[in-house]
Amino acid sequence: MKQRRLLRFHSLKRGRVRQTWNKYNLFNIWRLREPHLTLKTLFQQKWGAKSATRSYHGEHIKEYQWNTMFNRRVLSAVNMDPKYMAQYDGSEQATGRGSGRLSRPDKKDGPRNQGNRSGPTPYGQMVFAPMERRLDIAIFRALFASSARQARQFVLHGAVTVNGKKMTYPGYLLNPGDMFQVKMERVLLATGAAKRGKKGEGAAAEPKEAPEPAEPAEPAEPAEGEEGEKADGDAAAPAAKATDTAAAKKDQEALLKRLRDLAHRWRTLNGLDNSKWGSEAAKRRALADQLKQIRELIRPLISSQDAAPKPDDPSVSEADKVDLEMSQLMSYLKLSAPQQIAKTTELSKAGAEKKIFSQWAKYQESRRIERELAKSKEEAATAATTTDATATPTPTTATSTPTPPTPSPAAKPPISSSYLPFYDQAVIFRAMRQERQNPKDSSKPYATPWRARDYMAPFAFIPRYLEVNQRICAAVYLRHPVARPGLAEVPTPFPPVVSQLAHNWYLKRR
Amino acid sequence: MPPRIPGSSRSCQPQQLLSCLEAVSPSSFRPASTLAIPLHRPSPSTQSTINNTTTRSYATKPPRRMTRLRRQFVDWLENRGSRFRKNEEHRPNYIGASMNRGADRNLVFNHNPYFLSQPVLSEPAREMIWKAVMVEGAPLKAVSADNGVDVRRVAAVVRMKEIEKRMEREEKPLAYAYARAISTMVPQDHLKPRQDEDGRYKKIDFEPINDIHIHTATMRQLFVPTSESRQFTRADAARAFGDHILPPDEKMRIPELVQKERNIANGMDERDAQDLFLKETAESEQAYAEAQRKRAEAEEARKTRVNTDRFEFRFETFDSEAVGPTGRARHATGWRYGAPLLDRKRGQIKIPTSVE
Repeated sequence: MKQRRLLRFHSLKRGRVRQTWNKYNLFNIWRLREPHLTLKTLFQQKWGAKSATRSYHGEHIKEYQWNTMFNRRVLSAVNMDPKYMAQYDGSEQATGRGSGRLSRPDKKDGPRNQGNRSGPTPYGQMVFAPMERRLDIAIFRALFASSARQARQFVLHGAVTVNGKKMTYPGYLLNPGDMFQVKMERVLLATGAAKRGKKGEGAAAEPKEAPEPAEPAEPAEPAEGEEGEKADGDAAAPAAKATDTAAAKKDQEALLKRLRDLAHRWRTLNGLDNSKWGSEAAKRRALADQLKQIRELIRPLISSQDAAPKPDDPSVSEADKVDLEMSQLMSYLKLSAPQQIAKTTELSKAGAEKKIFSQWAKYQESRRIERELAKSKEEAATAATTTDATATPTPTTATSTPTPPTPSPAAKPPISSSYLPFYDQAVIFRAMRQERQNPKDSSKPYATPWRARDYMAPFAFIPRYLEVNQRICAAVYLRHPVARPGLAEVPTPFPPVVSQLAHNWYLKRR
Repeated sequence: MPPRIPGSSRSCQPQQLLSCLEAVSPSSFRPASTLAIPLHRPSPSTQSTINNTTTRSYATKPPRRMTRLRRQFVDWLENRGSRFRKNEEHRPNYIGASMNRGADRNLVFNHNPYFLSQPVLSEPAREMIWKAVMVEGAPLKAVSADNGVDVRRVAAVVRMKEIEKRMEREEKPLAYAYARAISTMVPQDHLKPRQDEDGRYKKIDFEPINDIHIHTATMRQLFVPTSESRQFTRADAARAFGDHILPPDEKMRIPELVQKERNIANGMDERDAQDLFLKETAESEQAYAEAQRKRAEAEEARKTRVNTDRFEFRFETFDSEAVGPTGRARHATGWRYGAPLLDRKRGQIKIPTSVE
C-alpha cells in the first residue's frame, strides 16, 4: 500500500525538494528560492528550515532516528602543503606580533600554506553529514539508484553487498574503506530509460532473437538442416543447391557492400569539421545514427554466428559450400579485425584489438596533421594574397592543398588483403563492440540497448568521499564527508542560511 | 434533482440542447463531417473531435483546467527545462550552472555555492593508476603523490579494478553503457599534465592529498603567554591545546613527502630526492605489511584450531574478569549468570556496525 506521506511526494504546490531524479523534483529545485525571513519569528524560521531540509535529507528516516544521529561537531580538514611544512615550522606566524613587524605572513609576499581554496569553511552546510554515511543514501549518491527510497529498496531486497557480504540494513553506517556493490541489473533498471510499449508486454514475452533475420542469415538455417539430412545419406538436389549458393553469395556481397558504404560514410562524417555541423551534438547524433544502422545489419549475424558451427570444425563437411562460406563470412565480420591480425602477427586477441585501434588513431592523427598543414598553407596563402594582389584566389588553394603536399609516412594506411580496408573494419568493429557490450534484449525490463533515463544529467554528480567504479556498479566509501575552506562535501540544494537555521533547530535550544 | 446541463440554468435554448446532444453522439458511427445537425459554430468538425478526445462523451462538466503551477511546469519542461532532458552536449549539465551566468560550470545547486560537482577519475586515469600499482609495482604513496590522488582513493581504485578485471576474465557482463553515460555527465579528470601560465606542462593535483583532520579541541581561541624571543612552533601550539593533540607534522599522511621537500630545500638534487622518496615510501609500505603479517600471526598463535569432520573448533584463552562493571563490556564473550542478553528487547539496534 502506498504510504500517505508518498501521495503528494513531488507536489508542485508544496514544492518540496527530494532526493530523486524526478522531473517534477527538478522543477522544484529550479524554483527553490531563499526564504523570506524578515516577518517570521526565530522559531518559525528554524521550523521552516528544518522541515525544508528534512524533506530532502533522508525524508524516509524517522525524526527521532535522525535526532540520535545528529552531531553538532562537524568534521573538517585542511590541506598542509609539504613544501611549506618543510621550510617553516610555524614560528614565522608569531614573529613580530604586536612588536613592529608589518608584513603579515598570510599576505602574498610571505610564506603560505598552498592547496586550499580561499574563503571561509562552510561548517553550516554540513548539518546532514551523518546521513551521508547511511548505506541507502550512499547508494543514491553513487548514482546507482534514482532515489534514496529506491536505494533503500535495493538494500532491503538483498541486491546490495558490503565488502562482498549481503547487507539488508539500509541504515547500516558505512565505515571508511567499506566497498558496496549493487546488482548490475538493478542499477541498469534504475538509471535506464523506460521500456516503450505496453507495461509488461516485452518483459512477459520470451526474448525474440532476430525477429526479422537479414537476408544472409536465412540460407544458413536450411543448410544446417541439410547437413542433418546428409548424415542420413539423403542427397539434396544439386541444381536447387547451386541457385541457393548463388543467391546467398549475392546476399553476402550486398551486405558487405552496404556495410562498407556505411563505414565509409561514418568516416567521412567523422572527418568533417565541427563548423560544418550546427553543433557538436548534431555531429555526434549523425555518427551515432550511422553506427546504429551498422549495428542493425550486424545484429542478426552475431546471433546466428553464436549458433553456427565454427569453420574449422571437422564435423562440417567441405562440400557444404554455402554453409561454410556463410560461417566464414560471419566469423570474418565478427572477429576479423582482431583475429585476422592476431593470426598473421601472432598477437593475442586483445593485442590485435589494440593494434587496430592504434592504427586507426595513427590514421586519424595523420589526417589531422594533413588538415592542419592545409590550414596553415591556406593561411599563408591568404597572407600572401593580402600582401601580393596577383596571388591565386584562396578557395582553390584550400581545396587543392590537402591531397598533394607532403604525404607523411603514416598518411597512407596499409590496406589489408581482405574485403574491407582496415579503417572500415575499425568502424564496423566499433559497432560490433557496442553491440556486444550493450545488446538489444527484449527480456530486460528497461529499454535496450541501454540508454540513460531522461532528466538524469542535472542530478549526476559524485561527491569526493566516494570512489565509484560504474562498470561493476561498486563504490568505496573512502572517508566521512568533510568541510574544507570554501567547500562542503555534503550535497544539499539549500542556501547556507537555511542550513544554519536547521542546524540551530537540532541544537535543541529553541 | 436531475443532472444539470451546463449553461442551462439561465435559459434552456434549443441550440444548446442540440450541441449537448451532439457531444453525446459517438463519432465512430458518424464521421464528424457528415453531421446532419444544423450547426452555427465556426468549425464544427474540430470542435466535436476535441470533445471526443479530451473528455468522456457522457461528461457534463467542462474539462478541468490545468492549475497555474502545472502550466508553469509544463511550460518550463518545454522551454528552459528541455536542455536537461537528454544530455546531448555530452558534458556536465547542472541547474546551478545554467541559472547563474558566469558561475562555475560544475555548480550543481543554484543556492549552494559551497557544493561543486568535482571531477572524478576518468576510465583511462583509473587504468593508469591500476597499472602503476599492480604492473609496475609502485608504492601507493608514490602513485598518490605523483598524481595528486588521495592514497585511500588509489587503494580503492586498484581494489575495484581488480574485481573488474576478474569479472572481465570470467566473461561476466559489465555495465559499459552505463559507465559511458555517466562519464558524459560527470566532469572527468584524466590526470594529464596541463599547461600553466608560464606555458610549462605540469601535473595538477586531483585533490588535496596532504589534508589533516581539524581536531575539535583546536577550534577554540587560546591565549598562551610566552616570551617574545621564543620560537613558538606548530609543535608548541599543539601542546598548548592539550597533551593529546598531535602537531600537523605528525598527522601527515605521507610524511616522506615533507622529508623530500626538506631534502630539496637543503640542496639535494631533485632527482635524488625523488629516488630517496620512492625508496622510503616502498620501505614504509613494506614495514606496514610486515607489521600486519606479524599481528595476524600473533592472533593465530593465540588460537588453537581443532578440526573435526564437521566443524573447526577454535579455542582461545579469555580473561573472564574482563567483562566490565556491568558484565556487558563490548568485547566480553559468553553468557554470564546475572547478565541477561538484551538482544530480544524492544528498541535494541541489531544493525551490524562493521563488515569484515
